[in-house]
Amino acid sequence: MNHVRILPVTRRDVMRLLGIGGGAAIGASLPGFEALAQSRKETLVIGMDIRDTNNLDPARDLHYTPPMTIHACYDTLLTMTPGDYINLKPALATKWARTPDGKGWRFTLRDNVKFVTGNTMTAQDVKYSLDRVNYIGYQASQYLTNVTEVKVIDDKTIDVMLKNPAEPILTILAAPSFSITDSKLVAANGGDATTDSKTKDKATEWLNQTSVGTGPYKLAEWQRGSQIQLVANPSYWGGKPPYQRVVVRHFEDAAAQLLSLRRGDIDCAFNLLPEQIATLKGEKDIGVEGHASLDFIYIALSHNPEFNKALAVKEARQAIAHAIDYDGIIKNLIGGAGTRPVSFIPTGLLGSTEKLTQEIGFREDIPRAKQLLQKAGFPDGFEFEIIYGNGAIAGTTYHVLGQKLQSDLARVGIKLKLGPMPQVNLRTLYNGGKMSATLVYWNPPAVENALWSWATVQRVAKRLHWTPPADLVKLVDAAAVETDQKKAEQLYIEYQKQMVDVANLIVLFQPIYQVGVRRSIKDFPLTAAGWQLDVGGVKPS
Amino acid sequence: MLRYLTSRIVATFVMALLATLIVFLIVSLVPGDPVLSQLGDMAASNPEIVKAYRAKWGLDLPLYEQYWIFLTRLLNGDLGISITSQRPVMADIAQYAPATIELGTIAFILSVVIGVPFGIAAAVARDSWIDHSARFISLIGVSSPVFWLAFIMLTVFYGWLQIAPGPGRLDPIDLPPPRVTGAFLIDSALASRWDLLHTAVAHLVLPSIVLCAATLGLITRTTRASMLDTLGQDYVRVARAKGLRERAVIVAHALPNALIPVVTLGGLAYANLLTGTVMTETIFSWPGLGLYTFRSALALDIPAIMGMTLVFAFVYLLINLLVDLSYAVLDPRVLKR
Repeated sequence: MNHVRILPVTRRDVMRLLGIGGGAAIGASLPGFEALAQSRKETLVIGMDIRDTNNLDPARDLHYTPPMTIHACYDTLLTMTPGDYINLKPALATKWARTPDGKGWRFTLRDNVKFVTGNTMTAQDVKYSLDRVNYIGYQASQYLTNVTEVKVIDDKTIDVMLKNPAEPILTILAAPSFSITDSKLVAANGGDATTDSKTKDKATEWLNQTSVGTGPYKLAEWQRGSQIQLVANPSYWGGKPPYQRVVVRHFEDAAAQLLSLRRGDIDCAFNLLPEQIATLKGEKDIGVEGHASLDFIYIALSHNPEFNKALAVKEARQAIAHAIDYDGIIKNLIGGAGTRPVSFIPTGLLGSTEKLTQEIGFREDIPRAKQLLQKAGFPDGFEFEIIYGNGAIAGTTYHVLGQKLQSDLARVGIKLKLGPMPQVNLRTLYNGGKMSATLVYWNPPAVENALWSWATVQRVAKRLHWTPPADLVKLVDAAAVETDQKKAEQLYIEYQKQMVDVANLIVLFQPIYQVGVRRSIKDFPLTAAGWQLDVGGVKPS
Repeated sequence: MLRYLTSRIVATFVMALLATLIVFLIVSLVPGDPVLSQLGDMAASNPEIVKAYRAKWGLDLPLYEQYWIFLTRLLNGDLGISITSQRPVMADIAQYAPATIELGTIAFILSVVIGVPFGIAAAVARDSWIDHSARFISLIGVSSPVFWLAFIMLTVFYGWLQIAPGPGRLDPIDLPPPRVTGAFLIDSALASRWDLLHTAVAHLVLPSIVLCAATLGLITRTTRASMLDTLGQDYVRVARAKGLRERAVIVAHALPNALIPVVTLGGLAYANLLTGTVMTETIFSWPGLGLYTFRSALALDIPAIMGMTLVFAFVYLLINLLVDLSYAVLDPRVLKR
């Protein structure tokens, strides 16, 4: 084999090709490179998998990544400071109070706020924006079902009138879907905010290429499948934005994202796997920022005895909940980057803390699980099937989680049959209530306790063929309308206790997302409120 | 010749339609509801919204009617609206196709320009070091998984040696050239943006090497085998006996005949490069048709899947047609048959 001299040939070939490829190095001597280097310093490049971004129109936003961009370009009436998801903070509205008749909320708008278009923001724009979301009938309109009317009182004052005045609306209005847009320009470009907007509104394609908000940045161009380009809004009411440009660079693959972060082509990387994050430890130029999300991965168990006789029995479900090695999942499968709530209200919200989970949440207790199985009438265990999507989640996959559950439950004699399938098939079965058990993901559209608790006794209950006790439904409603924070907290704790007893929804963990950030960045305000990062607050060191 | 051409073109259309019918039936048999992948959890639980959405996309109609609508639209050159991107499938294809065509074509040119001479040299100098290295390289090319090769290339040339640019078609701070064809090489040249052309070429190097590896191997091997076969033929011996120079024997007598199987293979390989780029596109974050198709399939986006089926069917059928026609050039006997 000593005459197999492949290297001289290939090296020449490869080097010739790479001679062209050494663009980055040769580029340094080209004229104009200095200007480019300058602009690189004034540009924030965010590395992120944005494959789910399919539009950037606030009224039609429903996926996971668009809110970050929308939040960078637009403002809402109220907002939330990263880390505090209980108290609201003024944004375009400086004051809010009940309307004189007590049937709604009155917002006083900030003075002299200009849209990036040059127009001044008025109450008319607020009405137009909220009406458009409402009538377009997309996901976000579902959160406005309690709103009867948005009334302009004067240029600076607007009322949001409610069917049931006690039900929460303020926290919901902080979600990026309820961004305020320049009504004149949206209307001039096909927008419609009348009751016919479901069919008449044609502004989305236009809003996908430009933005007409009051936020720190303006959408300059969205190149589908590759990147989103933002430029600074010089007239931003909150002061001059720290970067001239922001680029949200799409990465399909996590390993490539890590390489680009190390090379400095991107300033931060959002989709690194736990083992990749581990390799960043001790690196001089790169730090790791973590933020607890409000997302979680949970198991839902159906009460329908036709699907599975055992799961219909409460004690059998409780046995499952006590046979799971929760700490092992968090420690070994997601590299410790997670926390766990008691039930369906994520930690960080009112009445949900990790400490409470230790006190009243599910815990691994094998003898107890065995006892419960006895009590349920299945002393030797039983078998059930769990379905889940083919996909990755929080740095692991549903399949790996499924295998872990399988081995955990086997310890008490419960045999778990794994049912991986395409995500869309899973949703079809789960939404239609046609499964015995499923392992899925929940992420909040807006930060409001009631949206989680209502879901469990309403639509999720339906999917599980479960009729929640009237007392529990009453409790959830009472908690939603309770204005005294202390009392509301107690009600939510009581609600979680009851959910633990029913044991049909078992939350495995709430991921803490880990983002690799280059040290060229000083402030990096990650948030769990639904838009991942306060792009306007990112500052270079 | 004309009759042959007409019948082939008609057959091409019929086959493409058949392909759409088959794909349509398969997609419709999948138990998932495409609407649910596009609605949030709350909206998906509201039967009214789901119903309106299904009606909007025509999913509430009987299957034959859905297919009929697809066909009538197709006659007007309309592929319908993609459920995922919520805009015309035509617009999506026009958006993503240039990236794939650019990459696939460069990869194809690379594999032919390197593979054919390499194969010829290997055959002519049989059992020499050229031959051995040709076989070794084609073996490596054919047997390396694309995702592995792509990642190794990226790690070595982008991560360690730092002589190649990272994933994507341009650097993050670059704005693309004004869109004319969508192929950045052409568009930046048209706009006289030489800096962008430079960046675009640099970004093409790694992905096109990765993409061409397998094809390069195949073309080298086929050229070598075919050439060896031809060189053993009587007419080559006659040519040599006539006292022709070795160069003339190889180029004028052996090569045209040896190229026929290479052209067949090359055509298929080109079609394959245009349609089978998912892995390369994934690792290099290349916004092309491969990823678009893959995602449409995952989301059961029927209009997009149907549109891509048509495109892929046409690519294969068209290239096959061109291959058949090129036989006539290489071997005039084909026409007489």
